[in-house]
Amino acid sequence: MSPRGLVSPPVPAGPVRLTRRRLIALAALAPVAGAALSACDGTSGSDGPDPLIAQARAARDDAELIGAVITAAPALTDRLTPVRQARTDHAAALEAEVARLAGGTPGPATPATPTAPPADPTTAAVVAALKKSANDAGGLVATLPAARVGLVAEVAASCAAWMQVLS
Amino acid sequence: MSSTANRAVPAQQRTSIDQTSIDALQDVLETEHAALWAYSLVVAYLPTDLAERAREDSDAHRRLRGLIEQTLSDVGARPVSALPTYKPPTPVTDSATAQQLAVVAETDTLAAWRSVLERTTDTPLRAAALEALVSGTARCTRWRTSAGMTPVVPTFPGRTA
Repeated sequence: MSPRGLVSPPVPAGPVRLTRRRLIALAALAPVAGAALSACDGTSGSDGPDPLIAQARAARDDAELIGAVITAAPALTDRLTPVRQARTDHAAALEAEVARLAGGTPGPATPATPTAPPADPTTAAVVAALKKSANDAGGLVATLPAARVGLVAEVAASCAAWMQVLS
Repeated sequence: MSSTANRAVPAQQRTSIDQTSIDALQDVLETEHAALWAYSLVVAYLPTDLAERAREDSDAHRRLRGLIEQTLSDVGARPVSALPTYKPPTPVTDSATAQQLAVVAETDTLAAWRSVLERTTDTPLRAAALEALVSGTARCTRWRTSAGMTPVVPTFPGRTA
Protein backbone atom coordinates (compact mmCIF):
# COMPACT_ATOMS: atom_id res chain seq x y z
CA MET A 1 0.00 0.00 0.00
CA SER A 2 2.73 2.42 0.85
CA PRO A 3 4.78 3.49 -2.12
CA ARG A 4 7.28 5.20 0.11
CA GLY A 5 10.84 4.65 -0.86
CA LEU A 6 12.50 4.35 2.49
CA VAL A 7 10.00 3.59 5.14
CA SER A 8 7.76 0.67 5.71
CA PRO A 9 4.31 0.95 7.23
CA PRO A 10 3.46 2.31 10.63
CA VAL A 11 4.04 1.24 14.13
CA PRO A 12 0.99 1.36 16.40
CA ALA A 13 1.08 3.80 19.25
CA GLY A 14 -0.37 3.31 22.68
CA PRO A 15 -3.58 5.00 23.73
CA VAL A 16 -2.93 8.55 24.75
CA ARG A 17 -4.86 11.68 25.15
CA LEU A 18 -3.86 14.58 23.03
CA THR A 19 -5.09 17.99 23.94
CA ARG A 20 -4.88 20.91 21.63
CA ARG A 21 -3.23 22.95 24.31
CA ARG A 22 -0.33 20.57 24.43
CA LEU A 23 0.54 20.59 20.77
CA ILE A 24 2.95 23.33 21.58
CA ALA A 25 6.04 21.93 19.98
CA LEU A 26 4.55 21.52 16.53
CA ALA A 27 2.37 24.56 16.76
CA ALA A 28 5.58 26.52 17.06
CA LEU A 29 6.31 25.51 13.50
CA ALA A 30 3.47 27.36 11.99
CA PRO A 31 4.66 30.94 12.30
CA VAL A 32 8.28 30.14 11.57
CA ALA A 33 9.11 29.93 7.92
CA GLY A 34 5.76 30.52 6.31
CA ALA A 35 6.57 33.55 4.27
CA ALA A 36 4.00 32.50 1.73
CA LEU A 37 1.26 31.47 4.05
CA SER A 38 -1.17 33.44 6.06
CA ALA A 39 -2.66 32.25 9.28
CA CYS A 40 -5.70 30.07 8.94
CA ASP A 41 -8.67 32.15 9.84
CA GLY A 42 -11.20 29.37 9.99
CA THR A 43 -13.91 31.41 8.36
CA SER A 44 -14.93 29.00 5.68
CA GLY A 45 -17.95 27.25 7.00
CA SER A 46 -20.24 24.84 5.29
CA ASP A 47 -22.56 27.58 4.11
CA GLY A 48 -22.05 29.61 1.02
CA PRO A 49 -20.41 28.64 -2.22
CA ASP A 50 -17.94 25.82 -2.38
CA PRO A 51 -14.62 27.49 -1.53
CA LEU A 52 -12.87 25.33 -4.09
CA ILE A 53 -14.71 27.14 -6.88
CA ALA A 54 -12.66 30.24 -6.17
CA GLN A 55 -9.54 28.09 -5.94
CA ALA A 56 -10.22 26.59 -9.34
CA ARG A 57 -10.92 30.00 -10.78
CA ALA A 58 -7.68 31.37 -9.37
CA ALA A 59 -5.79 28.50 -10.95
CA ARG A 60 -7.37 29.23 -14.35
CA ASP A 61 -6.64 32.93 -13.95
CA ASP A 62 -3.02 32.23 -13.07
CA ALA A 63 -2.66 30.01 -16.12
CA GLU A 64 -4.18 32.72 -18.27
CA LEU A 65 -1.86 35.35 -16.85
CA ILE A 66 1.14 33.13 -17.49
CA GLY A 67 -0.05 32.60 -21.04
CA ALA A 68 -0.23 36.35 -21.51
CA VAL A 69 3.29 36.78 -20.17
CA ILE A 70 4.56 34.15 -22.58
CA THR A 71 2.83 35.91 -25.45
CA ALA A 72 4.37 39.21 -24.45
CA ALA A 73 7.81 37.74 -23.89
CA PRO A 74 8.32 34.51 -25.84
CA ALA A 75 11.82 34.20 -24.44
CA LEU A 76 10.17 33.18 -21.17
CA THR A 77 8.32 30.26 -22.75
CA ASP A 78 10.57 27.52 -21.42
CA ARG A 79 10.68 29.04 -17.98
CA LEU A 80 6.96 29.61 -17.60
CA THR A 81 5.30 26.80 -19.50
CA PRO A 82 5.71 24.27 -16.65
CA VAL A 83 4.08 26.69 -14.22
CA ARG A 84 1.19 27.27 -16.57
CA GLN A 85 0.80 23.50 -16.86
CA ALA A 86 0.86 23.11 -13.10
CA ARG A 87 -1.86 25.71 -12.60
CA THR A 88 -3.91 24.14 -15.37
CA ASP A 89 -3.59 20.77 -13.66
CA HIS A 90 -4.51 22.35 -10.34
CA ALA A 91 -7.62 23.84 -11.93
CA ALA A 92 -8.70 20.52 -13.40
CA ALA A 93 -8.24 18.71 -10.10
CA LEU A 94 -10.09 21.41 -8.17
CA GLU A 95 -12.93 21.47 -10.68
CA ALA A 96 -13.23 17.70 -10.44
CA GLU A 97 -13.47 17.97 -6.67
CA VAL A 98 -16.10 20.70 -6.92
CA ALA A 99 -18.09 18.50 -9.27
CA ARG A 100 -17.65 15.47 -7.04
CA LEU A 101 -19.08 17.28 -4.04
CA ALA A 102 -21.89 18.75 -6.09
CA GLY A 103 -22.61 15.25 -7.31
CA GLY A 104 -22.74 16.53 -10.81
CA THR A 105 -21.01 16.84 -14.08
CA PRO A 106 -17.24 17.11 -14.10
CA GLY A 107 -17.43 19.89 -16.64
CA PRO A 108 -15.83 23.27 -16.37
CA ALA A 109 -17.02 24.36 -12.95
CA THR A 110 -15.92 27.91 -13.47
CA PRO A 111 -16.85 29.22 -16.89
CA ALA A 112 -14.59 32.14 -17.39
CA THR A 113 -16.29 35.45 -17.13
CA PRO A 114 -14.85 37.53 -19.90
CA THR A 115 -11.89 39.06 -18.18
CA ALA A 116 -9.76 41.81 -19.53
CA PRO A 117 -6.28 40.78 -20.56
CA PRO A 118 -3.86 41.05 -17.64
CA ALA A 119 -2.74 44.62 -17.29
CA ASP A 120 0.75 43.67 -16.25
CA PRO A 121 1.97 40.57 -18.05
CA THR A 122 5.32 40.19 -16.30
CA THR A 123 7.11 37.55 -14.31
CA ALA A 124 6.70 39.75 -11.26
CA ALA A 125 2.95 39.68 -11.74
CA VAL A 126 3.07 35.89 -11.98
CA VAL A 127 5.05 35.71 -8.75
CA ALA A 128 2.53 37.97 -7.04
CA ALA A 129 -0.37 35.89 -8.35
CA LEU A 130 1.24 32.67 -7.15
CA LYS A 131 1.85 34.19 -3.76
CA LYS A 132 -1.78 35.12 -3.45
CA SER A 133 -2.86 31.70 -4.63
CA ALA A 134 -0.57 30.00 -2.10
CA ASN A 135 -1.90 32.23 0.66
CA ASP A 136 -5.53 31.71 -0.25
CA ALA A 137 -5.18 27.95 -0.53
CA GLY A 138 -3.22 27.78 2.72
CA GLY A 139 -5.92 29.77 4.44
CA LEU A 140 -8.46 27.05 3.73
CA VAL A 141 -6.41 24.23 5.21
CA ALA A 142 -7.59 24.71 8.78
CA THR A 143 -11.22 24.12 7.95
CA LEU A 144 -11.51 21.75 5.01
CA PRO A 145 -12.69 18.18 5.53
CA ALA A 146 -10.20 15.36 5.26
CA ALA A 147 -11.23 14.42 1.73
CA ARG A 148 -10.35 17.86 0.39
CA VAL A 149 -7.60 19.22 2.57
CA GLY A 150 -4.84 17.27 0.87
CA LEU A 151 -5.59 18.68 -2.57
CA VAL A 152 -5.76 22.26 -1.38
CA ALA A 153 -2.57 21.89 0.65
CA GLU A 154 -0.85 20.46 -2.41
CA VAL A 155 -1.93 23.49 -4.41
CA ALA A 156 -0.64 25.82 -1.70
CA ALA A 157 2.73 24.07 -1.51
CA SER A 158 3.11 23.87 -5.28
CA CYS A 159 2.31 27.56 -5.78
CA ALA A 160 4.70 28.56 -3.00
CA ALA A 161 7.50 26.52 -4.54
CA TRP A 162 6.92 27.90 -8.04
CA MET A 163 6.92 31.36 -6.56
CA GLN A 164 10.38 30.70 -5.17
CA VAL A 165 11.61 29.22 -8.43
CA LEU A 166 10.53 32.30 -10.37
CA SER A 167 11.62 34.89 -7.82
CA MET B 1 -20.43 8.35 39.34
CA SER B 2 -22.48 10.43 37.02
CA SER B 3 -19.85 13.14 36.78
CA THR B 4 -17.31 10.58 35.61
CA ALA B 5 -19.77 9.18 33.12
CA ASN B 6 -20.49 12.64 31.79
CA ARG B 7 -16.84 13.26 31.22
CA ALA B 8 -16.24 9.84 29.79
CA VAL B 9 -18.14 10.38 26.58
CA PRO B 10 -16.35 13.43 25.26
CA ALA B 11 -13.05 12.07 26.54
CA GLN B 12 -13.68 8.90 24.61
CA GLN B 13 -14.49 10.80 21.45
CA ARG B 14 -11.44 12.95 21.85
CA THR B 15 -9.20 9.98 22.36
CA SER B 16 -10.46 8.27 19.28
CA ILE B 17 -9.90 11.34 17.14
CA ASP B 18 -6.61 12.13 18.67
CA GLN B 19 -5.21 8.64 18.41
CA THR B 20 -5.47 9.08 14.67
CA SER B 21 -3.44 12.25 14.95
CA ILE B 22 -0.87 10.42 17.04
CA ASP B 23 -0.61 7.65 14.50
CA ALA B 24 -0.11 10.20 11.76
CA LEU B 25 2.65 11.86 13.75
CA GLN B 26 4.36 8.53 14.35
CA ASP B 27 4.23 7.83 10.62
CA VAL B 28 5.71 11.17 9.73
CA LEU B 29 8.36 10.68 12.41
CA GLU B 30 9.39 7.46 10.69
CA THR B 31 9.90 9.31 7.43
CA GLU B 32 11.85 12.05 9.19
CA HIS B 33 14.16 9.42 10.68
CA ALA B 34 14.60 7.98 7.22
CA ALA B 35 15.28 11.38 5.69
CA LEU B 36 17.97 12.10 8.25
CA TRP B 37 19.57 8.76 7.50
CA ALA B 38 19.39 9.50 3.77
CA TYR B 39 21.08 12.87 4.13
CA SER B 40 23.81 11.38 6.30
CA LEU B 41 24.49 8.92 3.49
CA VAL B 42 24.33 11.23 0.49
CA VAL B 43 26.46 14.05 1.83
CA ALA B 44 29.65 12.09 1.19
CA TYR B 45 28.81 11.71 -2.50
CA LEU B 46 27.96 15.32 -3.21
CA PRO B 47 30.18 18.17 -4.40
CA THR B 48 30.81 20.91 -1.89
CA ASP B 49 27.90 23.19 -2.72
CA LEU B 50 25.36 20.40 -2.78
CA ALA B 51 26.83 18.87 0.36
CA GLU B 52 26.30 22.17 2.10
CA ARG B 53 22.70 22.23 0.97
CA ALA B 54 22.27 18.65 2.16
CA ARG B 55 23.51 19.67 5.60
CA GLU B 56 21.06 22.56 5.71
CA ASP B 57 18.21 20.33 4.67
CA SER B 58 19.29 17.75 7.19
CA ASP B 59 19.16 20.44 9.86
CA ALA B 60 15.60 21.24 8.82
CA HIS B 61 14.62 17.61 9.18
CA ARG B 62 16.38 17.34 12.52
CA ARG B 63 14.34 20.25 13.74
CA LEU B 64 11.11 18.68 12.50
CA ARG B 65 12.02 15.40 14.10
CA GLY B 66 12.68 17.10 17.40
CA LEU B 67 9.37 18.90 17.30
CA ILE B 68 7.47 15.74 16.52
CA GLU B 69 9.24 13.79 19.25
CA GLN B 70 8.63 16.53 21.75
CA THR B 71 4.97 16.75 20.82
CA LEU B 72 4.53 12.99 21.13
CA SER B 73 6.32 12.93 24.45
CA ASP B 74 4.23 15.82 25.72
CA VAL B 75 1.08 13.82 25.16
CA GLY B 76 2.49 10.66 26.66
CA ALA B 77 3.21 8.72 23.48
CA ARG B 78 6.57 7.09 22.99
CA PRO B 79 8.08 8.39 19.75
CA VAL B 80 9.03 5.64 17.33
CA SER B 81 12.75 5.06 17.05
CA ALA B 82 14.85 5.23 13.93
CA LEU B 83 15.76 1.98 12.25
CA PRO B 84 19.46 1.10 12.22
CA THR B 85 19.49 1.46 8.46
CA TYR B 86 17.22 1.93 5.47
CA LYS B 87 17.24 0.55 1.98
CA PRO B 88 17.47 3.10 -0.82
CA PRO B 89 15.35 2.22 -3.85
CA THR B 90 18.49 2.52 -5.93
CA PRO B 91 22.05 2.25 -4.65
CA VAL B 92 23.88 5.48 -3.97
CA THR B 93 27.16 5.42 -5.81
CA ASP B 94 27.77 8.95 -7.03
CA SER B 95 26.47 12.51 -6.99
CA ALA B 96 23.57 11.77 -9.33
CA THR B 97 22.25 8.83 -7.33
CA ALA B 98 22.82 10.76 -4.12
CA GLN B 99 20.62 13.58 -5.40
CA GLN B 100 18.00 11.08 -6.42
CA LEU B 101 17.93 9.70 -2.89
CA ALA B 102 17.51 13.20 -1.54
CA VAL B 103 14.48 13.55 -3.80
CA VAL B 104 13.13 10.23 -2.52
CA ALA B 105 13.62 11.27 1.09
CA GLU B 106 11.87 14.58 0.55
CA THR B 107 9.07 12.96 -1.42
CA ASP B 108 8.50 10.43 1.35
CA THR B 109 8.25 13.09 4.02
CA LEU B 110 5.89 15.15 1.85
CA ALA B 111 3.55 12.18 1.61
CA ALA B 112 3.63 11.69 5.36
CA TRP B 113 2.97 15.34 6.13
CA ARG B 114 0.14 15.43 3.63
CA SER B 115 -1.30 12.41 5.38
CA VAL B 116 -1.15 14.25 8.70
CA LEU B 117 -3.41 16.91 7.18
CA GLU B 118 -5.96 14.28 6.25
CA ARG B 119 -5.79 12.50 9.57
CA THR B 120 -6.24 15.37 11.98
CA THR B 121 -8.64 18.23 12.42
CA ASP B 122 -6.51 19.81 15.11
CA THR B 123 -5.88 23.34 13.92
CA PRO B 124 -2.32 23.79 15.24
CA LEU B 125 -1.32 20.39 13.94
CA ARG B 126 -2.78 21.12 10.53
CA ALA B 127 -0.93 24.43 10.45
CA ALA B 128 2.31 22.68 11.33
CA ALA B 129 1.74 20.01 8.70
CA LEU B 130 1.01 22.61 6.04
CA GLU B 131 4.16 24.48 6.93
CA ALA B 132 6.14 21.25 6.72
CA LEU B 133 4.55 20.48 3.35
CA VAL B 134 5.45 23.92 2.03
CA SER B 135 9.03 23.93 3.28
CA GLY B 136 9.48 20.32 2.18
CA THR B 137 8.21 21.09 -1.29
CA ALA B 138 10.81 23.85 -1.53
CA ARG B 139 13.57 21.40 -0.57
CA CYS B 140 12.23 18.76 -2.91
CA THR B 141 12.15 21.33 -5.71
CA ARG B 142 15.81 22.22 -5.22
CA TRP B 143 16.89 18.58 -5.37
CA ARG B 144 14.67 17.86 -8.35
CA THR B 145 16.21 20.88 -10.08
CA SER B 146 19.80 19.83 -9.50
CA ALA B 147 18.93 16.22 -10.37
CA GLY B 148 17.48 17.40 -13.68
CA MET B 149 13.94 16.23 -12.97
CA THR B 150 10.92 17.96 -14.47
CA PRO B 151 8.73 19.58 -13.57
CA VAL B 152 11.05 20.92 -10.94
CA VAL B 153 8.10 21.56 -8.63
CA PRO B 154 5.84 18.60 -7.92
CA THR B 155 2.38 19.57 -9.14
CA PHE B 156 0.67 17.77 -6.25
CA PRO B 157 3.33 17.56 -3.54
CA GLY B 158 2.78 14.62 -1.23
CA ARG B 159 0.42 12.76 -3.50
CA THR B 160 1.44 9.17 -3.89
CA ALA B 161 -1.16 7.66 -6.14
